[in-house]
Amino acid sequence: MVRPYREVKILFRDGLGENSEFAGYHPAVNLTYFVFVIGITMFSTNPLFLTASFAAAWIYSVILRGKKAVRTNILFMIPVMVVMTLINTFFTHNGSTVLFYVNTNRITLEALVYGFAASVILSAVIIWFTCFNTVMTSDKFIYLFGRTWPVFGLLLSMTFRFIGLLKNRYREISDGQKCMGRDAGKSFMMKARQITKEISILISWSLEASIETADSMEARGYGLKGRTFFSLFRFTAKDRAVMIWTVIFGGISLAGCILKKTVMYYYPSLEFPQPDMMTAVTLTAFVLLIFIPVIIDIYGEIKWKRSESEI
Amino acid sequence: METLRIRDLNFRYPLSDKKALQDISMDVDTSDFIVVCGKSGCGKSTLLRHMKKNMMPYGELAGEIYYRGKPLAELSDRMSAAETGFVQQDPDNQIVTDKVWHELAFGLESLGTDNKTIKRRVAETASFFGIQTWFRRETALLSGGQKQMVNLASVMVMQPKLLILDEPTAQLDPIAASEFLKTVYRINREIGTAVVMSEHRLEEAFTMADKVAVMDEGRMIFCDTPEKAGIFLSKEPRNDMFYGLPSVMKIFAETEEQGNAPLTMREGRIWLEGFLKKRMTGRAEENEDAEDREEHVNAEDIAVKIRGLRYRYDKGSHDILQDTDLEVRKGEWFSIMGGNGTGKTTLLKAVGGLIRPQRGNIEAAGKIAMLPQNPQALFTEITAEEELLEALYYTKASDSEKAEKIEKTLELMELRHLRKTHPYDLSGGEQQRLALGKIFLIDPEIILLDEPTKGLDAFFKRTLAGIFRTLTSRGITIVMVSHDMEFCAENSDRCAMFFDGEVISADRPEEFFSGNNFYTTVSNRMAREWFPKAVTYQEVVECIKKAI
Repeated sequence: MVRPYREVKILFRDGLGENSEFAGYHPAVNLTYFVFVIGITMFSTNPLFLTASFAAAWIYSVILRGKKAVRTNILFMIPVMVVMTLINTFFTHNGSTVLFYVNTNRITLEALVYGFAASVILSAVIIWFTCFNTVMTSDKFIYLFGRTWPVFGLLLSMTFRFIGLLKNRYREISDGQKCMGRDAGKSFMMKARQITKEISILISWSLEASIETADSMEARGYGLKGRTFFSLFRFTAKDRAVMIWTVIFGGISLAGCILKKTVMYYYPSLEFPQPDMMTAVTLTAFVLLIFIPVIIDIYGEIKWKRSESEI
Repeated sequence: METLRIRDLNFRYPLSDKKALQDISMDVDTSDFIVVCGKSGCGKSTLLRHMKKNMMPYGELAGEIYYRGKPLAELSDRMSAAETGFVQQDPDNQIVTDKVWHELAFGLESLGTDNKTIKRRVAETASFFGIQTWFRRETALLSGGQKQMVNLASVMVMQPKLLILDEPTAQLDPIAASEFLKTVYRINREIGTAVVMSEHRLEEAFTMADKVAVMDEGRMIFCDTPEKAGIFLSKEPRNDMFYGLPSVMKIFAETEEQGNAPLTMREGRIWLEGFLKKRMTGRAEENEDAEDREEHVNAEDIAVKIRGLRYRYDKGSHDILQDTDLEVRKGEWFSIMGGNGTGKTTLLKAVGGLIRPQRGNIEAAGKIAMLPQNPQALFTEITAEEELLEALYYTKASDSEKAEKIEKTLELMELRHLRKTHPYDLSGGEQQRLALGKIFLIDPEIILLDEPTKGLDAFFKRTLAGIFRTLTSRGITIVMVSHDMEFCAENSDRCAMFFDGEVISADRPEEFFSGNNFYTTVSNRMAREWFPKAVTYQEVVECIKKAI
């Protein structure tokens, strides 16, 4: 028996993160989706499109990151939006509807509305990028680059490896220094000296160690001609279906975007777009595009819960 | 046809006046398992590096090396990469990529293998090595044993015919080391890959090897079956390598028996039973057990007193330390043993002040210093001497006083001849001693040690034990965490087991080990039926000599 309310509550607590259903799709699908969504959002000023994108970004980020997303979205985004709106209102004096004057400066309705719209674009894009960050894990990047350029893929992979390695090593060094009774101390000079020392140990140790790494690479044939790139990702029928969906509706939205159906003019006076056929089609396509991951994740979660309760 | 044939190999490093390898001839037959042993710096690594084309060190080379009938130098790079696997000492430094699966695929990617084949090979290799459950993990998050297993697997995925391992278990704790060696043995027996391995842990390696090669100062002084190697190394005057032999062999040699030496604990037990029956004089029923050791520690002063310690790493996890109590007396050498992940190191860190326990208190009578597991974590200077001077940076003393202190420390740590050497050029045991010297110079009254014998050969361990003894005789207290049962049994004043967050059964070694059934030395397990209190091989030998 599925109880939607409880499911949703659980889902919202910590978020699904990189284990979510959509994140499990092929990296090419993930990337295509985000390129379309973020690209079109950036060039959309039409309130309908903005509302849709902003809402989808909010919902998806909460699905992915749970409570944490709600917190950052409110605590960080709202102040940003308020400040941005105010700045535009007080520094742009275009527009025909004057609300009031500050000294001799006109404060217009158009500037206020445009400032708000721009701040919605900005925060939507930022939220989309936090989703992008969660979904596109390092190995997806490595895969996408490695497919086209194997050596660069390896370089990325080694870089990620070294971040972990250096972190561990630095902790060991600073523990080692503490073992000798060398705490960072209180004065700035002492602290600076101690940190310099620790970094210098880290560098000489790592350089020494990298000789062995080079040996190990060469021993396993690094530098031979015709390097390939291996990955665990498979492009399945599921991936193909979602890819086709993304490309069709992304394509339609993009076409609409190019035809200026996603824009609205704010100056000199607010000019709400006429609801014509093409705009309606574009909007429908756009909504069908941006809610893909939300639908996939919620559907996946319900299916998962159902199969769990059957066990 | 032999996998590898080496004839009259001579090698000299540039700018060195001594030959690193002299007149070495040896054969590695198909599916051979050869263990190369010798003191640190005897040329083992140099020899192993000559067995793989692109690992050869730069220098002056004479002699012939053939790989499957062809000169090694003529082997193509591709063949060399694929057919000879090489695993080195340090688990961390050999890993190249961020994910386990990618590391396994690295070699095949280099060879230009297609995705499908890589997938199949990686899958079967991961299954063989038991990696499948952590196949997608990040390499930085693995334990040392797991890392080394990945290194082995990522070489084996290329299906080499010859596997070369240069002290592969030196950085591992004994449990992980034993697992690693068993896997190497399985590779040799089940897949038929020829193995050449240099190793200090002869206790296990001897039972696996077809041949044992002994090296000394660049020469190969012996190469034959392990049984014969035991006899060879037991000859008077004793070779330094004697102390590295399996305990069973040492006991056998000391009783001056003739014939084939037993290798394993089981063989040793069977042999001892027969031997005692045959040779026991008169009062067969009442064997004299080992005498109690004389106590080194007289003082009743407590150096470290721990009461009700509780610690957990984060809110959600369980307690690693659970109301831990411990008392260590002044001038005592106290060893804590126990399985991996039981919290031994956590306890040591709490005493050393690296972590702050959530509850309980630690009283220490005096300054505490701790020796990190990796001595490199302390090295900043370019010579051993300056390294020691660095330790005195915060000490208020005149230059001549400092120089004198350094001189004394060099003497104590037996590093005088190496004073101008770069710390990174020292061998593992020497680095360990240099780091200990640095710790010693800050005048601690309590020294904490975490696995100090890791990667040391038997000879260096004896040196180290001697140094620790000198320190305790000066009133310094040593608290050591170790897996090395033989080392703890031979040297410490008291041993304790750490289990489930508590210190259990702290007692003198003879009582501690004779009370244990699984967790005891090989010598004790072999002879406990007759001499339950004999823990070290010397004690067993003494008892046997008394009995006959």
